[in-house]
Order: sequence, then structure tokens, then C-alpha cells
Amino acid sequence: MAVRILSRLVLPEIKGAAFASSAAAPATLSDFDVQHKTPVIRKQQLIPKAQYGGRHAVTMLPGGGIGPECMGYVRDIFKYIGAPVDFEVVDIDPNVDNDDDVQYAITTIKRNGVGIKGNIETKSEAAYVTSRNVALRNELDMYAYVLNCKSFPGVCTRHKDIDITIIRQNTEGEYAMLEHESVRGVIESMKVVTASNSERVARFAFEFAKKNGKKKVTTVHKANIMKLSDGLFLETSRRLAKEYPEIEHNDMIIDNCCMQLVAKPHQFDVMLMTNLYGSIVSNVVCGLLGGAGLLSGRNYGDHYAVFEPGTRNTGTAIAGKNVANPIAMINASIDMLEHLGHHYHAELLRRAVHRTVNEDRVLTPDCGGTASSTDVVNSIIGNIGQVGH
Amino acid sequence: MSIISRNVFRALVQGSQHVSKGVHTTAVNKDKNVCFAQHTISTLQTKEGRIKCTLIPGDGVGPEMVYSVQEVFKAANIPVDFESFFFSEVNPTLSAPLEDVVNSIAKNKICIKTWHTSVTSSTFIHLYLHAIYLPLLIYSASVKLGHGLATNQGAGQKGVPQGILATPDFSHTGELQTLNMKLRNALDLYANVVHVKSLPNVKCRHHDVDCIIIREQTEGEYSALEHESVPGVVECLKIITAAKSERIAKFAFDYAVKMGRKKVTAVHKANIMKLGDGLFLRSCEEMAKLYPRIQFEKMIVDNCTMQMVSNPNQFDVMVTPNLYGNIVDNLASGLVGGAGVVAGASYSAECAVFEQGARHIFSGAVGKNIANPTAMLLCSANLLAHVNLHSYSKMIKNAINK
Repeated sequence: MAVRILSRLVLPEIKGAAFASSAAAPATLSDFDVQHKTPVIRKQQLIPKAQYGGRHAVTMLPGGGIGPECMGYVRDIFKYIGAPVDFEVVDIDPNVDNDDDVQYAITTIKRNGVGIKGNIETKSEAAYVTSRNVALRNELDMYAYVLNCKSFPGVCTRHKDIDITIIRQNTEGEYAMLEHESVRGVIESMKVVTASNSERVARFAFEFAKKNGKKKVTTVHKANIMKLSDGLFLETSRRLAKEYPEIEHNDMIIDNCCMQLVAKPHQFDVMLMTNLYGSIVSNVVCGLLGGAGLLSGRNYGDHYAVFEPGTRNTGTAIAGKNVANPIAMINASIDMLEHLGHHYHAELLRRAVHRTVNEDRVLTPDCGGTASSTDVVNSIIGNIGQVGH
Repeated sequence: MSIISRNVFRALVQGSQHVSKGVHTTAVNKDKNVCFAQHTISTLQTKEGRIKCTLIPGDGVGPEMVYSVQEVFKAANIPVDFESFFFSEVNPTLSAPLEDVVNSIAKNKICIKTWHTSVTSSTFIHLYLHAIYLPLLIYSASVKLGHGLATNQGAGQKGVPQGILATPDFSHTGELQTLNMKLRNALDLYANVVHVKSLPNVKCRHHDVDCIIIREQTEGEYSALEHESVPGVVECLKIITAAKSERIAKFAFDYAVKMGRKKVTAVHKANIMKLGDGLFLRSCEEMAKLYPRIQFEKMIVDNCTMQMVSNPNQFDVMVTPNLYGNIVDNLASGLVGGAGVVAGASYSAECAVFEQGARHIFSGAVGKNIANPTAMLLCSANLLAHVNLHSYSKMIKNAINK
């Protein structure tokens, strides 16, 4: 018996010793490293990270519409700046009804940890086929969506110097995809709000604000009507706000919020909201800043990150006409480089884009310019050469 | 009671191994997700678009071959600057300190290197003489190594062309780890890749051999844990861990994806070493599930070597533990024309070291201008591709094929 106790006493110490010796973590970790090292919740088995000789493997999902051409530009630029990233391209056929390609795409993101995507089309409107974008986010449990909305001085808009960050719950709410016809002619659609997911995204928002030196978080809701569901979301964010006394917190009802956004957008800093409101508000803000082709969005889970253009539309109508605005996808790729820790390349590219849009004003027609997509890309590549020295 | 006490004894023994391992592998990354040598400024240090690269000429014919690489780079006006280190185990007095070399590679992130000689039988004599002091020696060596690492953290560069460093068959210092192993452990260069490809103009028995051999090179038989428990009985510990097996398996599959390959073959001897190689095999099988579009098969190492010489075209990507990889590498290199024509590379998460595929220093050819530089040139071409200088890389490859 005594012996047994001894063994119990000895083992934990040994484990502790072994752990301490490996705890010499490097001083700065990129977000990519953090996701691989310290996931908040360890739901699935951790996969070794896809980083070899300093190069990262990244899944690329070109999607439909203007996606493939924009991805082509991103690859050209990456080749030019020598970004240490290898893309694994997965094409998803929009006309096929089964989910094989989507499942494979999800698997590749799982093993690479990072993805960049255009908008994936779901042609089928049959009830049993779920939206592929939604399926991707749900399967990878990417619960937070971040959209940085910062004005481009070179793009002519009604409001100047807007700087808003929208953080959106990305996996539940109205997008639970639980709809049914209980009696003929009566359809119920369920909106699901859970305390755990609300807390995760609220914590993400406050941590984000803290890390990036933001002053204020605004929770957007409709708790005056949906007292329980939106009420829970609001209550959770209020509770978490107490843990962050240095950050101001207020809340706003969605209809009022939209009005305030178009009238006085400068009052907002970080905005936190549920799924559907996020979809609406992010499109409103994109419109304020100059359209769908400029901003980039980021999807975060505990283990994975996927980067995409800020507004989720395919732009099928302008595909192949060389007029699509490549800036959104290029911004997404900058976010990705930043996430992977390649700050040098991200900064290089960011400065080149800044110069092209704000100083040289080489813009596609959607932003009031006359240039073609390839003109914009060539201008960026030219600027990389100049800002590099 | 006896069972209990035996278990406890085992727990204690394993525990002490844990501790000792913890002590003298401070250099090795235990946590598969910690990448050593974090770079703060990220990626290649470019000064006016030039890339810095560590160069280790190594022993034997190494310096001559490295010279040929430098000549070619000069002729082609390739924007790469070399930072050369004399690093040798046969000449310990002239050798640059391990820390300096490790720091340089961690900073440059690329290195080109020829092979080092290893020393064998006197290690054993030393071991015999110093059986008692050995733990102490290993400990002090590891402390030294650990120190080098601690100072190195936060440095940041990327690929290294290497010549071959020879390891003599005996040790001057009584250390069991060779210089190559130390370098690998210090940088956590866990994956060795050898691309065996027939060159059209080299006459061999087999044609169109094109396979990639990926080898785990930080654990397994190369753990440098050998001891003589009773006079005349020597135990060598082969260490296999799930973390490192998964890591190398994932590396192999990711490499296959990157190169557009169809099949990955795991080479093992799990029918005999059911636990050790079994773990390796299971890890590979687990990883294979994440790659539904790549065929996975397994093969026992003895059968594999036979298949390799009789029908090498069946292989695509192979993933192996340490020692088998070493054997298969050399075997496969022999198939396509020998050590002089096969390029290899070692990868950690952060760095890449480019070296010859088959590791042999070929001292017999020193100074005779007959050593084949093809492998080193292929290495340098791979290095250029790694740092996104594809046009230069193609230039060298085309020149070699001509």
C-alpha cells in the first residue's frame, strides 16, 4: 500500500519536471503559433502544424464568380514578393449536389490550420443542401468573424476617417438552419443563441479591443423584441464587460444602429453582434467605405483561421471581365500573412496597396476609377518594388 | 505485491529517464508545436534584395564541392551571400563552435552543408573507460548545448546549404552525440527529405526512378542513449514518440500534397518491434485519414529494400523512422548513380538545411578534382527554389540536365 502511494507521489513531480524543461517558449508568437499551442478549448486532437523550413502550407478555396481570378492575382503577388507560403488549391464544383469537395476542403483546412477563400457558390436550392459557406464555418467551429473597416483616403465616400471593427458571432443564431413546416402553410425558423457561444464571442471581442487598444465595445441586439435569445446575448456581453473595466461598453438596438451608422459612423469603435445583424451591419459599413471590393474579413475559431473578402458575394456578373476589384482579396491575403507571423511581407504588401489606392488612385470602376483589375495588380507590384527600399 | 513493486520500480526507472531526458535534450523540441528559433522580423533578411545563407563546407571533398557551388552562383550572378563556417568533428580545434553555427542558421533560416565524418570505435573505448563519468559528460555537454540555445532564441534567418560533415568512428570527448546530431537537435531539423530522381544521362540499371524519401532524424536509434549496464552488455535505446511520429507523418503527407504526389509508403518493422515501430505506424495511419486523396500503404523495411532494387518505380513518397531512412536513402541513391547526384534537405519548422542525399565524405577523392559536384548543385537549385528564386533554380537545373 505504501508503495502504491509512493508511486502516486513520484509521478506527478516527474511530469512537472519534464514539462518545465520544454516551457521555454519563444518571446513572440504569431497568432498562428498561438492557435496551435494554446487552444482555449481542446475539442479535437491537436495536429502538428504545417510549417516547414519557414514556409507555411495554406488551403486556398477560389470559390465561384470573381474568386478564381482574384486568387490568381494573390498568387502572382505572393510569387513576386517571395512570401513563404505554399498554397494547396481545392476547387469546389458548384454544380455537384454532394458534399465531397466541401468535406475535403474542410479536411485540408483542418490540417493546414489556415485557409483563404473566395465566396463558394451553392447553386442548389434544395432544402437538404446546406450553404457551403455556412457548413465550412460550422464544421471548423469558427465562431468569431472580424471585419476591420477603415476608410481609404483615396476612395471618394460621404464619410471620412471611419475606423470600426465589427465582430460577429459566426456559427449560430439565425444561421442555425433549423427550419420546418409544422402545418401546411406555417413555417418555423429557429434562432439559436447559447450562453457558451455568446460568451466565447464576447470574450473574443473584449480581448480584441484590449489587444488593439480600442476604447469602446458596442453590443448590437434586438432584445426589446427577442427578450430571451437576444437578451441572453446582451446579458452575457454585459457580464463580461465587468471583467474589462478599462473598456467602455454600451449597447444599441439594431434598427437604431443602422441609422446611426449611416448618419454618425464615427461614434463606433468595436461592434459586437449576433450572426444575422452582423451580416447586415458589415454590408452597411462596406457600403459606407466604398463597396464590396475593398475590405477583408477574418474567421477565427480556436484552432483555425480563414480569411476572405469582407462581403460575402460571388460577383458572378462581373467575372471574367477584368473589372473586379482585387483589393479585397489582397487585403485578405495581408491579414493571412499577418496571422502567420510574416510581418515583413505583410507590411510590404500593405504599403504597396496603400500607395496604389490612396496616392496613385489606381481604382476599378466600382470605386469610381477607370482601371482594370490587372492595372491595379500591376500598380501594386510596381509599388512593391518602390516601397521595398 | 511483487507485481506492484515491479511496477513501481518501472515507474521510477521511467521517471528517472524522463528526468534525464529532460536534462540532456533541452535542445530538442519536446513540444511538437514549439518552434525553436523564433524569428521576430520574420523571413529572409534581405539587404537590397540579397539573401544571406549559412555555408558549411564540411570534411573530405566537401570544400571542393562548395567551391563549385560558389563559382556557379558567381557566374550566374545569383543574389545570395554566403556566411561560411568551418565546422568539423575530425578537427575539433579548428571547428567553429556549435552555438555560432546554430545561431547563424537560425538567423539565416537557410544553410547549405556537406557531410561531417563520424568517429566510431574509440567512442566505445571512451565509454568503457568512462562508464562512470558518462552521465556527467552527457550532462555537461547538454548544459553547454542548452546554453547555446538559450542565447540563440529570438534570432531569426531560413535555409542552409550544407556540405557533408564527417563523424569519426571514435570520439575525442566521450560524447555519444555526433556533431550532425547535435546540429539537428539544436535546430530541431526533424525531417530529412531526399529526392531520388534518375538523371537522363547517367547510366544506371533502372530508369525513371522518381521517389521522395522522408526520414525522421531526431529520435529512434539516433537518440544517443547507449550504456553498458553490465560489462559486455550494451544497451542502445531506440526512442519513438507519438508526437514526433505524427509530425513526420504529417510532413510526409504535406510534402506529397505540395509536390502533387499520389502515394505515401510508410516503412517500418512493426512485426518485430511491435510497440516502437507500431507507434510510428499507427501515427502514420492516423494522419493518412486526413489525406483522403493520397493513397497510403505500409511496407516492412526488409521487403522494402528488396522492392527498391528490383522494382523502384513503384515508390512515390516514403516515410521512415531514423535508421531505416538512412539505409533506404543510401540504397536509393545508389540506384540512380551514387552519392554524387542526389540532393537532400533537412527541415525544421523554421529552417531548411540543404545537403547531399547520401552522406559520405569520400575522403579518397580529396584534391583530385574527380568528386561529383552535381548533388551540391542540385542542392543549391533546391535552395533557390525554397527562397522563391525560381528562375535561377531552373537555370541551374537545366544546366545540370544538359
